[in-house]
Amino acid sequence: MKYIILIPVLLIVFSSAFAQKKFTISGTISDKSTGETLIGATVRIKELPQSGVATNSYGFYSISAPQGLYTLLVTYVGYETVVRPDSLSQNHTVNFAISQQNALNEVVISSNRPNNNQIVSPQMGLEKLNMSQINNVPVLMGEKDILKTISLLPGIKSATEGNTGFYVRGGASDQNLILLDEATVYNASHLLGFFSTFNSDAIKDVSIYKGGMPAEYGGRLSSVLDIKMNNGNSKDFTVQGGLGLISSRIKFEGPMGDKGSFMVSGRRTYLDLLLKGSKDTTLSNSTLNFYDLNAKFNYRFNDKNAIYISGYFGNDNLGIQDRFGSNWGNTTTTLRYNHIFSNRLFSNTSVIYSNYGYTMENFSTQNNFKSTSQITDLNLKQDFQYSLSDSHSLKFGINVLHHTIAPGNITANGTSNTNNKDVEKRYGFENATYFSDTWKASPKLTVEYGLRLSNMILLGPGTFNTYDTNGNTISSNSYGSGSLVKNYLNLEPRFSASYQLSEASSVKASFNRNTQNIHLLNNSTTSTPTALYVMSDNNIKPEIADQMSVGWFKNFKDNAFEFSAELYYKNLQNQIDYRDGAQLNANQDVASQLTYGSGRAYGLELFLKKKYGRFNGWIGYTLSKTERQFDSINNGDYFPASQDRTHDLSVVGIYKINKRWSFSSTFIYATGNAVSYPTGKYAVNGITTFSYSERNGYRLPANNRLDIAFTLEGKEHKKYHSSWNFGLYNVYGHKNPYTITFQESETKMGTTEALQTSIFPTPIPSITWNFKF
Amino acid sequence: MKNYNNSILFVLTIGLLCLTACEEVIDLKLDDASGQLVIEGSLTNASGPQMVKLTKNIPFTSTNIYPPVIGAVVTVQASSGVSFPLIEGPAGTYTVNGLAGAPGSTYTLIVKSGGHTYSAASTMPNAVALDSLTSKDGRSGNTGGGNISVRKVVTAHYQDPPGVKNQYLFLVYVNGVQVKNVFAYDDNLTDGSHVGADLRQSDIDVYVGDTVKVEMLCIDKQIYTYWFALQQQDAHGPSGSTAPANPPTNISPAALGYFSAHTIQTKTIVVK
Repeated sequence: MKYIILIPVLLIVFSSAFAQKKFTISGTISDKSTGETLIGATVRIKELPQSGVATNSYGFYSISAPQGLYTLLVTYVGYETVVRPDSLSQNHTVNFAISQQNALNEVVISSNRPNNNQIVSPQMGLEKLNMSQINNVPVLMGEKDILKTISLLPGIKSATEGNTGFYVRGGASDQNLILLDEATVYNASHLLGFFSTFNSDAIKDVSIYKGGMPAEYGGRLSSVLDIKMNNGNSKDFTVQGGLGLISSRIKFEGPMGDKGSFMVSGRRTYLDLLLKGSKDTTLSNSTLNFYDLNAKFNYRFNDKNAIYISGYFGNDNLGIQDRFGSNWGNTTTTLRYNHIFSNRLFSNTSVIYSNYGYTMENFSTQNNFKSTSQITDLNLKQDFQYSLSDSHSLKFGINVLHHTIAPGNITANGTSNTNNKDVEKRYGFENATYFSDTWKASPKLTVEYGLRLSNMILLGPGTFNTYDTNGNTISSNSYGSGSLVKNYLNLEPRFSASYQLSEASSVKASFNRNTQNIHLLNNSTTSTPTALYVMSDNNIKPEIADQMSVGWFKNFKDNAFEFSAELYYKNLQNQIDYRDGAQLNANQDVASQLTYGSGRAYGLELFLKKKYGRFNGWIGYTLSKTERQFDSINNGDYFPASQDRTHDLSVVGIYKINKRWSFSSTFIYATGNAVSYPTGKYAVNGITTFSYSERNGYRLPANNRLDIAFTLEGKEHKKYHSSWNFGLYNVYGHKNPYTITFQESETKMGTTEALQTSIFPTPIPSITWNFKF
Repeated sequence: MKNYNNSILFVLTIGLLCLTACEEVIDLKLDDASGQLVIEGSLTNASGPQMVKLTKNIPFTSTNIYPPVIGAVVTVQASSGVSFPLIEGPAGTYTVNGLAGAPGSTYTLIVKSGGHTYSAASTMPNAVALDSLTSKDGRSGNTGGGNISVRKVVTAHYQDPPGVKNQYLFLVYVNGVQVKNVFAYDDNLTDGSHVGADLRQSDIDVYVGDTVKVEMLCIDKQIYTYWFALQQQDAHGPSGSTAPANPPTNISPAALGYFSAHTIQTKTIVVK
């Protein structure tokens, strides 16, 4: 591990020795009206066409050039381009505050040549969504949702209709790393997945990496969903909120002195109220709600030092009076310290806490017990960004992450016939160190190469059994507190390159290896709160994915249109499935219920988007295949994973009709999930039982759906602004299949039938009122 | 328990969010993999004829009449080495009289049919006494026409022996009609307790005055896994539960069905 840290040091020493005398301009770029720092804004030196750099997560940029008179160009989607002359003869700081474009004028402004970052950057498989798009896309019941919106992008598929669970390029839903201000969010769903934990009011930036993962990210196989919260308005105190059909939101933000700002945002549903009206006493005595609270505070001591404290707290409550109660939720806290050592060296130190847990309670007299489960992380990260020269920019860092998993704890009450049971807690460290260099090798070729070394250390105390391939215990070892049970070391190379064919087109290629040491055990496709997390151990090996991709990127009409075609191939090792009849609940020997195999996924993604103008939106299409192979399933043959979707098409359009009205619409078409259907039936113990031939040999019928929404902006007022959002989900009432089950017919005795359940078979209207003052 | 909780969660959520949800019977083109041997063998501790039933599975679309397999040679071998031939009766049944299984003994079923020899072994666990049945109020429901009747739930009580693994299967009959849910329990959370197992079912509603018969079977671990797997695939469970597959059988080479050596007790209650 030591050597890896040495590499960047050596590189720095070498390069500075030979580097030509250059000076550096650095600073932050922020929104003029809110002071919110802008992530991914581009700074270029007009006279040096290859000079572009983008701001980092904190809005910081650093650009170097030889002494000279230059013109700086600052561009960012949806913002006015800023042109500023600069006479460069020494290192200095330039901060930019840029203003948003008026949407109706954008047609004219596009002649300002927005950036062609997608062409130049070697990054592949990255999708960024801006919040205004997320806010405009029509969604179920008017609840704007990041996770549902990203599933409209090629290569990303939602688990089931109306569900926030998602699959990226054939990966499972637990193979996505979901970060909120760097903190892992383990269960990003509310109400079994119908809503996500991300209240879009509090969110500034959403990036999803489907491939070509930069070396600073690790720990999951399929994707990184990196979500950043708003810092809060540093110019004015504002209140904004919304009243919707099922929930309301409110956000307060404002400056704190000259140097700081804060943001607090909350959301709560009121589904309970609907329940009270029910005639069914079971429903009217039930609890059903969730809430989210996001808060962030930042303080900039000076140009070189800033701190950020952010937190998220969310909870679901669901229960039936006197019978059953449950609650679950995530808590995250992130403390960050930015320090700018020099114009070229940016440092961020983070201390991150993350927790997910649930409690289930049974209230019946004989079975009165409480079941709880927790996963708690404490994470220390140190990241550096170093602009070595105008052709090398380095990133390196180190990460120490401690996990505590309490997989299940049953507490019985008084007269209960259930026993107390504690499944042993598990402790471990995930450590990583990484290094990457973005190297502008020639005017046309940019290469990003890096290496991540990841390490999993499982520690005692506890008893660790080892199981054979049939799940029988073959040995059992006890370990004392803090003693080493298992140690895994994995080297993860990351590589991507872009070669510019012309000003507006490029080809790219990437290879990356990812490993995963936290595994979710949940033998259901819906997002259930009772998910069980396990670490890699003496039985469970780290999951490994190798992904290769190539792509062609082309911009049209002064970069107003972006087109990309990407091909990917992914190979997965040490994948996990369950034995038939697996018992995962409160089972100390849960690893004995698992079976291991491999997987492969490949596909083609086509993506055409229009980013600017009165009309914007995108068309995404994916042709793909996702398969798994387990010796104990399907005679050891490859079979389609349930998320295998041959065709997946999404069309999203947003049109600004006039100053006050805008219209948006989405259409989706997707091949149905792969499922197992019975190929015969028989009776045992007098119960009709179905027989199956192969795993996932059938398909649910294809999904298709059209959603629309209108937004009406209120008349302009100096003091406040309001808007109405009207939505219609599933416009033509298509009965998309949610599940198909098989049962004995209730109408024709002695026969069996297939029953399709559609959860949203009719058009569902929604209305939301938003305000800001 | 987990499945049960998830079902409640699921039903509640779906029920509320999707007041519009609809179900419809659809036609599906399903492959026909019928004609496979189904072995349903049980050996109980009760003296009386022990029966093995051999049938074939049928296409999904056919009426539930299962063709018997005739002309098979069926024997049961006790762990002592003594072999009991079963005599073919009507409709694919093979029986033997005068054999009562003894708890603790392992029995091997051997079926020779269609040129193949199948075998399955099962160990009869010690019997745990079914102490009593009780009934209590379940979920209230609107039975239509403004009548609110209280559905009842029957509870089976037994004392689980401490320190040993026990598995149970309950068969429930309401007014002589078998409930089509699987009730398989183990003692992972109830070892040594006095257990009241609620036989909550979604098949036949139980009201005051109904006669409910409960058979309690003490089964071995492998047979428990078989029934537990079927229970998880119950059509009434939450959506997208485990990928359905044939439950893991103790028959080798693999055939549909199982062979279970178990103890059996029966009690009946008139619901009050």
